Order: sequence, then C-alpha cells, then structure tokens
Amino acid sequence: MLNFSLLADATDHAAATAIGVIQPAVDAPDLKWAGLIIGLPALSALLCTICGAMRVRSKLPAFITIVALIGSFVLTCMLFQQLGQGAPRVVGLFEWMSFSWGNADRFQSFSAPFALYVDSLTLFWMLFVTGLGSLIAIYASEYMESDVGKGYTRFFGGVSVFLAAMATLVMASNLVVLYLGWEGVGLASYLLIGYYYSKPSAVAAAKKAFIMNRIGDLGLALGISLIWVNYGTVDYATLFSVLEAGPTAGHGDWMPGAIPFLLMLGAFGKSAQIPLFTWLPDAMEGPTPVSALIHAATMVTAGVYLIARMYPLFALHEDALATVAWVGGLTAFVAATIGMAQYDMKRVWAYSTISQLGYMFLGLGVGTTFGAGYHVFTHAFFKALLFLTAGAVMHGFAGQIDIRKLSGLRKVPGFRLVSYLALLGCLWLSALPFSAAFFSKDTILTAALGSERSDFQFLGWLGLLTAGITAYYTFRVWFRTFAGPVHFEAGDEQHDAHDDTHDPHHAPVAGLSLGAKHDFHPHGPRWAIRIPLILIAIGAVAAGWPAYNVLFFHGENWVQSMIAHSSAVAGSGEVHGQDVLGLSAHLMTSIVGSTACVIGIGIAFWMHLADRSAADRVRSALRGFILTRWIPTTLENRWYVDEIYHMMFRLPLWAGSHILHFFDKTVVDGFLVDGTGRVPVAVARLFQPLYNGVLQGYAATMAGGFVLIAGWVFWIWLRGNG
Amino acid sequence: MEVTLAYALILVPIACAAIVGFSPSNLAKWIGTFGAFATLAVAMLFAWTFPHWTDGLFAPTNDATSWFSAMGVSISLGADSVALLLILMTTFLMPLILIGSFTAINERVKEYYFWFLLLEASMLGAFLARDAVLFFVSYEFTMIPMFFLIANWGGLQRRQAAVKYVLYSFGGGILTLVGLLYVAMKMHAATGEWNFGIGPMTEFCSTTLPASEQVWVFLLLMAGFAVKIPLVPLHTWLPLVHDQAPTGGSVILAGTLLKLGTFGEFRIALPMAPIGGVEWNFVLAVLCLIGIVAAALICWVQHDAKKLVAYSSVTHIAFCMLGMFSLNSIGVTGSVMYMISHGLSTGALFLCIGMVYERYHTKDMDELGGLYRRMPIWSFFMVFFALASLGLPGLNGFPGEFYCLVGAFIAEDTAATGYPGLMGPWFAIIAGLGLIAAAMYLLMLVGRLVWGPLREPGAHDKDHAHTSHHAPTSALPVDIGAREIGILLPLAIACLVLGLYPEPMFKAIEPSVKNMLKPYPALVERYVRDGTLLNDETETSNSPFADATQK
Repeated sequence: MLNFSLLADATDHAAATAIGVIQPAVDAPDLKWAGLIIGLPALSALLCTICGAMRVRSKLPAFITIVALIGSFVLTCMLFQQLGQGAPRVVGLFEWMSFSWGNADRFQSFSAPFALYVDSLTLFWMLFVTGLGSLIAIYASEYMESDVGKGYTRFFGGVSVFLAAMATLVMASNLVVLYLGWEGVGLASYLLIGYYYSKPSAVAAAKKAFIMNRIGDLGLALGISLIWVNYGTVDYATLFSVLEAGPTAGHGDWMPGAIPFLLMLGAFGKSAQIPLFTWLPDAMEGPTPVSALIHAATMVTAGVYLIARMYPLFALHEDALATVAWVGGLTAFVAATIGMAQYDMKRVWAYSTISQLGYMFLGLGVGTTFGAGYHVFTHAFFKALLFLTAGAVMHGFAGQIDIRKLSGLRKVPGFRLVSYLALLGCLWLSALPFSAAFFSKDTILTAALGSERSDFQFLGWLGLLTAGITAYYTFRVWFRTFAGPVHFEAGDEQHDAHDDTHDPHHAPVAGLSLGAKHDFHPHGPRWAIRIPLILIAIGAVAAGWPAYNVLFFHGENWVQSMIAHSSAVAGSGEVHGQDVLGLSAHLMTSIVGSTACVIGIGIAFWMHLADRSAADRVRSALRGFILTRWIPTTLENRWYVDEIYHMMFRLPLWAGSHILHFFDKTVVDGFLVDGTGRVPVAVARLFQPLYNGVLQGYAATMAGGFVLIAGWVFWIWLRGNG
Repeated sequence: MEVTLAYALILVPIACAAIVGFSPSNLAKWIGTFGAFATLAVAMLFAWTFPHWTDGLFAPTNDATSWFSAMGVSISLGADSVALLLILMTTFLMPLILIGSFTAINERVKEYYFWFLLLEASMLGAFLARDAVLFFVSYEFTMIPMFFLIANWGGLQRRQAAVKYVLYSFGGGILTLVGLLYVAMKMHAATGEWNFGIGPMTEFCSTTLPASEQVWVFLLLMAGFAVKIPLVPLHTWLPLVHDQAPTGGSVILAGTLLKLGTFGEFRIALPMAPIGGVEWNFVLAVLCLIGIVAAALICWVQHDAKKLVAYSSVTHIAFCMLGMFSLNSIGVTGSVMYMISHGLSTGALFLCIGMVYERYHTKDMDELGGLYRRMPIWSFFMVFFALASLGLPGLNGFPGEFYCLVGAFIAEDTAATGYPGLMGPWFAIIAGLGLIAAAMYLLMLVGRLVWGPLREPGAHDKDHAHTSHHAPTSALPVDIGAREIGILLPLAIACLVLGLYPEPMFKAIEPSVKNMLKPYPALVERYVRDGTLLNDETETSNSPFADATQK
C-alpha cells in the first residue's frame, strides 16, 4: 500500500530509506522547558495586551516582544545543541483534548494532549522562524515608530501572537495541536494585515486572507478526522509507527486515499498555491515587517512543513505527490508571469513569494524533501531581505512603493546600504550561480528534470523557464528602483493616516501629499533597521554554506541531514536522476538555470536600465499583434483570477444568500408560520364571532387545538390498547 | 446539604424576586444583582459539593416530595454533570446581564429585575427537575417572564415579537406535553399507578413502548424542543425576538433559553424514545445541515448586527444538534460542550452589541462602522468574541465544534468507533462549510462594525455632530467603562480557559453522555441492517405487557 516507488525515481537510496527509518520517538519529560519557546511569545502577547489596556505610550511593547523572541531563539538553539539530530523527543505539557469510550483499542479513543514533538525538522524550522522573527521585530521597532502610542502595541501584540502560534504549529506533537497553531497564525495574519484598519482595502484583504485560509483549514480538519478514523491516532509518533506496521493496522475502508489531498488543500491555502493563492498579494496591505515575517519567510512555509511532516502519508495515493508537483510547478510559473507586470514593489515580491513557494511544492512533489526544505531555508533569508529593503524604502519615502515613481535610490543619501542589500537579495532570488538559492533551486529542478516521469520532466523545463522569468522581474524592480538617474516622488502616506483624530470624511490625502512633496526629504534608516538588514544579508549568504561544504569540502549538507532525521526522510537523499539530453540532470539544470538567470537579468538590464523606453515599446508591440494582444493586459490583471472567483463563487453565493433570506422571510416565516398563525384566528372568528381580539382568538384555538390533539392521542391510545 | 442547595437554587432567586417586588425602585437593581450573585454562590457551592461529576449519574438530591400524590407528581430535584454545567453557565451569565442592564433599563426597573429573577428560577427548575411535570412546568413558565421582558423593554415591534414568541413556544410546548402525558398514560395502564419521574418514564418508554408509538412520542416531544432549539424550519421566531428583545433578554435567550431545548432533547426526547431518535435521525440531521448552511448564508447578508448574531445562533445551534444527532459519545459530548460555549460567546456578542446600541441607538451596520477609532476597548472584546464564535482553536468554540464535526464524521456504519451512527463524512464536509461561512459573516460583522472608516449615525447632521462630536447621545463614556469591562472580562476569561483547557469539562460531560447513549448502538446497528426499526411490530403485540415480558 505504501508506494514509494515514485520517490525512488528521483532519489538515490530513497527507496531503501523509505519509511522505516523514521526514528521512534522518545519521551523526554526533562525537556519541559522547551514549552517556553511557545510560552515566551504567548506571555509577550499577554503583556502587550496589558500595555494596550494601560495605554502605554512608549516603545515598551517592542522591547517586550524583542526580548521574548530572542529568548525563544536562544531556547531553540539550546534545544538544538542538546538534541542535534538525535531521535525525536516528545515532551508532554498538559492535557488538551482527549476522549475515550472503551478500552478496546486506540480506535475507541481520541487523544490530543498539548505536547511537543521535537525532531530535526522541527528544530530546523524553529531556528529560522525564531531567528528571523527576532531580527524582524527589532527592525519593526524602528519601522513602526510613528505609531508609538497608537497601533504600536497592537502591532507587537500581533507579532507575539504570531510567533506563539507558529511555534505551536511547528512543535506540535499531534495534528490537532498543529491545527491550533495553524489557525492561530491565520488569526495573527488577519490582525496584522488589517493593521491599518481605517483603510477599507486593508480590512478587505485581511478578511480575504482569513476566509481563503479557512477553506484550506477545512481540508486540513477533515484530513485530520480521516487520519484519526483510519489509524486511530492523530499523534505523529504513533501515526508513523502505525504506517510502518503496514496498512492492516488501520481501517482501510475509510478512504485513506483522500487524506493526502485534504492535507494538500490545507497546505495550498496557507502557502498560497493555486487555487488559493490570491490572498497573499492582497496581504501586502499589512505593514512591511509583517509581509517579511509572515507572508514571506515563515507562515507561508507552513504548508511545506505540513507536507514534509506528513510525507509518509503522501504515499497513500499514487497521484498525491504528482498533484503537489503540478500545482507547485504551475503556481511557480503563473505567479512569475504576473510578477513581470506589477508596479508595486511589494506586490512583485509577493508574487515572487508565491512563485518560490511553488518551487518548494514542486520539490516536495517530485520527491526531494531536501530540496524543498533547503529552498525554504534560503528563501526565508533572501525574501525577508527583499521585503525589509522595500520596507526601508517605504519608510524613507512616505510609503512610496511604486517602481515607476522611484529611481536611482542607490545615489540617494542614506540608501546606499539598502540598495546594495536589495541587490544581494535580487541576485539570490534570481538564483545567481553559486548563491545559496542557486543550490536549493537546482536540487529541486534536478529532481524534476531527472525524473523518469515525463510530466515531471516537463515541470522541470517549466521551472527553468520560470527561473528566467524570475531573474527578469527581479531585476526589473532593482534596475528601475535602485539604479539609473535619481528621481523620486514621495508617497501619500501621512504616518498618522490612521490617527485617532483624523477624520476620514475630510482626508484630502492627495492635497496634503502634494504640499509635502516640495520639501520632502527622504530619511535613511537608522541602526534598528540597518543591523537586522545586515544580519539577514549575512544569513542569506551563509545559507549557501551547507552546499559549499558539500561542493568544496566534501562534507555533508547540514540541511540534508536535518531533514534525513525526520519524518520527511523519504525524500532527503542526494538527487542524481536520469540523464537529460545526454548530460546528467544536475549539470543540465546548472547550465540551463545559469543561462536563464543571465538572460533574464540581461533583458531586464536592457529594458529597465539601458533603454527604459524599450519596455513600453515591447508592450505596444505585443499589444499591436493580434495573437499576443492579451498578454500584457492579462498579466497586469493577474490572469483575472480574482474576477473569475468573484463571478464564480462570491456573486452566486451572495445572490443565493439574498434569495435564502427572502425565502426565509416570506415563505417560511411569512407564509408558513404567520399563515398557520392566522388559521386559528380565522377559525376563532368562525366559531366565536363575539371575540375578534387577536390574542383571545389565539388562546381559544390553542385550547381547541389542544383538545383536538389530546383527543387524537387518546384515540390512538384506545386503539393501541384494544 | 445537596437537598438544601438544590432547593436554594430555585428558591433564592424567587425570594429575591419577591424582595425586589416590595423594595423601593432605586434599590431594585442592587437587590436584583445581589440575588443573581447569591444564586451564583449557591450554584458554585452545589458544584463544589456535587458527588456525581465523574459517574454521570442523574442522581436525586432528595426523596421525592409528593406534589399531587394521586397523579404521582412530585417535586424531585437532582442534577447530573450536564445539568450542573448548564446551571453554572446560567448563574454565571445572570449577574453579568443584570449589571449590564443598569444603564439600559430606566423604566419600570423593579419589574425588570423581578421578571429576570423569576426567569432564572424557572430555568434552574427545568435543569434540576427529575419529574416530567415539574420539568414541563418550569420549562413553560420561562415564557411568562420572557414575554414581559420582551413586551415591556423591547424594540418597536416588541408586542408582535412577544406574542410570536409565546404562541410559538406554547404551541410546541403543548405537543411536548401531549407526548409526556401519553407516556404517563401508557405507564399507568401498564403498571397501574401514576408516575411522572423522568427516570421511570424513560425506562418505561425506551424499553417497553412499541416501536411505532415510540416514534410518535419522539416526534411529539421533539416538536416542542425543536421550536425552542430552534431547528430549521421552526427558527423564524428567533431573529424577530432577538431583534426586539432588550439586550439582557437576548443574552439570556441565546445563553440559556435555547439550551432548554437542546437540554430537553438530551435529557428527555433522545433517551425516552431512542427508536424515534434513530428512525428520524436522518431527517433531523439533514435539517441541521440546512440550518447550518442556510442560516449562515442568511447571516452574511444582514444589515442589522443583532439580527446577524441571532441568525448565527441558528446556525451554531444547528451545529450543536448535528453533534447530538451523531449519536456517538464524542459527538454528543461535543454537543454539550458547544451548548456551554455558545452561551458564553454568543451571549457576549449580544452584550457587546447592546453596549453600542446604548450609545448610538442603532445596530444597523450601514449607519455604524469603524468603531475602533472611538471604542478600542470595546473593539478588543468584540473581535475576541467574534473569533470565539467562529471557532478559533484556543478559544471556547473550537473544542465543542471539533468534537461535533468528528462525531458526525465517524457516525457511519462501521465497527471502527464502537458507536455506529447514521451520518458520515459527507455530513461533516457540509457542516464544515458552515465553518467557512462563519468566518465570512463574523468577519463581515467585525469588518464593518469595528474596522474600516468611522461611520456614526448623525455624522452628516451638522448641528448634531457639533454638539456631540463624540457621538454618544447618552451619558455613557465614549468607550466602555469599568462596569462594562467588568461584564465582558469574566466572559472573555471563561472563553479562553475553556478553549485552552477544555479537558475537565469533557471529563465531566462524558459519563453522563455515555449513560444517555446506552440504548443507541444496538438500535443503530439494527436500523442499518434492516433499514427500519418498525418491522418487529408484527412479532410483538401492541400491548406493553407483551413487549415487557419479551425483554
């Protein structure tokens, strides 16, 4: 039943190492302190709430949050130090939800204690989640400073909730606690996207994100139910041992084949993949540190984590992993094409995030959890870097983020460092040869290209094409914004746009900003922004170390061995693959990938730096030719996905709801209920013409009705006795 | 001790009501609130000394005191863990509601507190009753205080709402009474004496009454409870009543009065006529699904915040009943848990909306919005309770909801669960759509009322806007003050505690549920095998004696 032949295609010794080598978990009650990794951010959230209640008007909430997050990071490091890649540890904290109605077997009980499952996959994730979380909180302490005393507390409260929930998600020992974290990060995301609550677009984006995630969450919830029904447990350790024991251990008749697809739905919702990807670009309405932390580096990788964690279950259906691969590959491509035609820098990075997440799912699908995990790792750093540099620009230019209105920023005083760090991020995103992202993406594409399945090979080629597109749109942004002649317009963001005293009815936003533009002086970031940027940049570069270690020192890849010691072991092997067009898949990917990267950057250089009017010429050329006319508009309108969803789902639902409401009011209540109510009145009038008061009529007929019913029952009783 | 406490639970509010009746008006609210707190104290003491938390026994606290001895009617009080939890919730809500009414109720204050305390007494009587007549009398008596509460302190259509509420409940109640009387009559015929004890009646009806009669008894009992619950399509009184009732009335309606229906189902209808419960299971489950999805969608297009929450009650309670009709212990436990958590979070939402209504005299979301700017503390609670209501894990809505969902999911003909049922994954999937819809309408509510640009009624009216720029037209502070925070904070803490640590609740509910479900697995198995439970009528004669001897 557990068919891992698919994985064997792509990986060298995956077949041999399939499921059997997931190490059995060890109870570790001595590690209870690890609960503080969740507890510290939770405490910080509580303290921030108290700060809010006490109307603290200082940077205290930021300080609390930063201390808590650094504390979590240190604890995670200690845990890593102690456990390394040893056997998974289960740390029970307290009973949460459990139930049993018999003592026969585990199928008669349901147990979801609040416990932690710590293995190397958990640690791997937690290290970059808490590490980046701390850095971004420091960054945000300066970025959000104009809101001190207003939304500052709310912001850091949200960040604390997020970290607590994310830690719960990653460290959970069973799927129900994972679900707790899963919805918890959704909540944090909702609160933080809607941070600028007086902007209707932000409120709508927050709502959209939550609801789209809920659709995925339903899949996850049903998947959890199915897992429990089939295997009698929701606990990772038990589940893996049951799977290992073979299919007979479960009840095979409860559609186990549906499990991976339901889990997938949850993962696609959280990680913004087709068909649930449209919330992520809108989520950019949130403050930029939030975009960097939640919507780029950490939360959106939860879907990858879920699939990696539940990897053994994805062998339950032969098409499950292939579906993941296809969805990932197509999402990577579609999102990259949209990214080519956006003008909002954050939105470009948002689509690139979707696209890169697509690569990760492609990696999972073609059987290299190692590639996917490594790409999560490298992506977390360089994408956080890109968002934070974009944020530094917004911070300095009053919220300006339109790449048509910014140019040559590297020559603007105070923005040199930001520009070059952004360049680093762009190079990494474009997968410059020998950058960290090059190796991680390379692993994924090699596995795809080298696969025996022709559809995976196709996805591999599509991925290479996407790599070229990625390089183009990335450098389109960089060349436009940071290079070229100096020119900028300030944004229209009054930092107090959501001020409590600000009246939206009289907000002459445009007028104010016009006045502000004349004497606008961009202010460069200070240390609280610069230091995290530098540290994250160092992290982005250092993320290549595991690969260099293999390449130059013949050591082992740290990420690979982390993943090999977890439940995602089945895809953690070295990727070799078949030969492609006479070359080894690996070499082929490297050559074609590097070429695509260079070509993409080259085109971007030509169209967006050397000759900026070329971009417009290309656009009008495309518009001028009948067969390509649709391309620019379709891409600029994001393939009309939002519009299609609106027409297909929201509108019918809205109309249906109105019809239901009307039906409820007129037919159910008006006709059936009130109509029935009128019958006694009519009857009463028939029998008692003297009383025409409504109440009396009701009462009389109620009594009459009672007599009738009682008589009828009595009759039945008589008949029964006779 | 227990006897005293059980009597005290009913008598303390009645006594306080009497004192309120004779006291000066300006003291009424203090005495009323004191009465509610005193009842809470009694309930807590009762819970503290309650010996049946873990064995699930519906234990008598006293020997039956004869009431109408000739008819076998007695005053017999008792509680099991489920009843006790509902009692705790009721007594917990009541002081909060009364404190919340301090500023909202300015006319006929004495009467208001008087009726509220009587209402509390009758609700507690229904939860404590071990005698069917006592149960029914208490159950129906709740209508009278509620009628006056709506008709005197309600909105513009209050008379209509009050009349509709009473007639609807009364009509349903009559049918329930007929069902109970029928069982008692049959029992009298069989044993020669009258006995209205719920225990003996259940015993008799479930084991002795022929299948076809059980089905009728079930439907009669169900008719009244379904109105009270309310189950679609008998729900239409609820939005109207909620809309028109004063805030306190809405809170107690959502918090406890609806639970009388679900509790009646749990205590009386399902145990008394299990064959009916199984025969009609599918229909009821489908009605629940319709309720979940349709009412949720109707919520989504409401303009009135209170009506929205009222319809959300319909969908939530349908979810709760789906869990109960799953007929397995996990689903029913979830259902009971859901009753409690729904009472807390929906009650709190009504309180929140009432606080805004007191300030702006409207609850129309077209006129009102972006209140975060004015009322950040209120907004915090509003968002919090909306999230609790939409079933966010970590808050109170989730554990019950998840168990209901799992209960429906596994209620399929299989040996896997030990408690077979008649639903299955598809029921869970459709019910799960309700979770998505819940996010849609509750976030819509929050998105319009709390977030977004500020909209206040009268903001366009220049004069008005100048005189009271900070909108409130009453003497209340702009944001909620200490008294109101004091109302919402205990509710919020309760929501959080139940969400993070529901384990003790489950442990308490579970044994009682298992007792209730005892006859079901065998019946369901037979139903699945034969497609009906009515086919053995030919084997057994209609006479109860024949049936009894066979057992």
